[in-house]
Amino acid sequence: VTQPSTDTVAGPRRGAEDDRVIVTRMASGDSRALGDLYDRHARGVYSLARRILPDGGQAEDIVQEVFTQAWQQAQRYDPQRASVATWLLMMARTRSIDRLRARRAGGRDVGAEPQLEELPDPLPRQDALAITSEMAARLREALRLLSDGQRQAIELAYYEGLSQTEISDRLHEPLGTIKTRIRSGLLKLRDALRDQGA
Amino acid sequence: MTHDELRELTGAYALGVVTGEERRAIEAHLAVCPECAAEVRDFATVAEGLALAVDQHEPPAAVRSRVLSAIGEPGDARSTFAVSAGRPAAVGHGLRYLAAAASLAAILAGLFAFDAHRRARVAEDDLQVERVRLEAIERELETQRAEAQSAARAAEILAAPDVARIDLSGQKPAPGAAGRAYFSPSRGVVFVATNLPEVPAGRDYQLWVVTKRGPVSAGIFRTDAAGGTVRLIGFPGDANDAVAFAVTLEPAGGLPAPSNTNFYLLGSL
Repeated sequence: VTQPSTDTVAGPRRGAEDDRVIVTRMASGDSRALGDLYDRHARGVYSLARRILPDGGQAEDIVQEVFTQAWQQAQRYDPQRASVATWLLMMARTRSIDRLRARRAGGRDVGAEPQLEELPDPLPRQDALAITSEMAARLREALRLLSDGQRQAIELAYYEGLSQTEISDRLHEPLGTIKTRIRSGLLKLRDALRDQGA
Repeated sequence: MTHDELRELTGAYALGVVTGEERRAIEAHLAVCPECAAEVRDFATVAEGLALAVDQHEPPAAVRSRVLSAIGEPGDARSTFAVSAGRPAAVGHGLRYLAAAASLAAILAGLFAFDAHRRARVAEDDLQVERVRLEAIERELETQRAEAQSAARAAEILAAPDVARIDLSGQKPAPGAAGRAYFSPSRGVVFVATNLPEVPAGRDYQLWVVTKRGPVSAGIFRTDAAGGTVRLIGFPGDANDAVAFAVTLEPAGGLPAPSNTNFYLLGSL
């Protein structure tokens, strides 16, 4: 019995405040707050995990792991660093890509893989746009307008966690080409979001 | 690395796919290059959006229960009744029914102030086991507080020496529904149900006591606005030989005999 999946992100101000209240309740041990958090964000977490992992059952495991982790780490959540939605989605992405790598590696040494968990430290965000579901829709549209090469490179990086070198190997394209495609593609996506914000 | 080379890492950095060496280089650069730092911030916003720019799917409902039970929360209170009612009905343990009926009577005693101390003591041992189920029923009963007369009658039924409990499970048109009847052939039936579909206009649900001679009506009912919860206190007349309870959807006002066998709820004694 889920509530109509609330704008993970939309109605940004109000929704984000409600999210923080829920996480504060979780930090104080209110287990019902976890159900509230789940009702608001399970859809987003599950959808991202499904995008990354080929197997829907694994995506369900990710949902369980992310919300369990959120419960355990609620006291450590820092609203200065990321919105609650982003916090959950980063956990979902990191865990999903870890699984994906484990499948890919199949026992091989993965020491040279990029270190995802070290990144998400997304700089103070006060001046940044808060992502709304409307903007996410705009972003989907903008992704379609990228060249195939730009979109493919960005998707391999974000949804599969491949480094620029790995993408170059995978696509048999020069590293410099991949770097250029990623940056130019991201600049287009940024501009699409800015147009939206304006 | 030159500035241009470092700038080629802003995207990978914001997308979280730099290697350790690249990461050290770009972070050192960001500290001194506001232009690249601004670019990384913008790209990080894009990355946040990418997490949401995927096809949206609703996770299966069971995942929610798994999450909550993983932290020791007993799941969704709204489904408690359905879950407990879903267990196989252990019919025939007369003492157990007497105890359950007696503990219900204790609740009613609190509400309507008649003496049920003795029954309450009998109920104490079973109370812990029945707690979850009772809470669901208690919520139902609380809303009936004003209907003292019906409640007193319910108490009479629940405390009757020949009372039995029948669990009804949701059938094809209402797989998520659940019901429970406390049935005393001498006094009548108290029936509660949850998660029934909202009753269509011009129709009523009808509860049937199926006897060896055929079905006997135990009354009609409608779902309330919230969650398809219903209560019914009825007297089906001569039903000593009851073998089952069933709910069908009938024309408003009910019929003397069911018009169909498309059962919404079904449970046997």
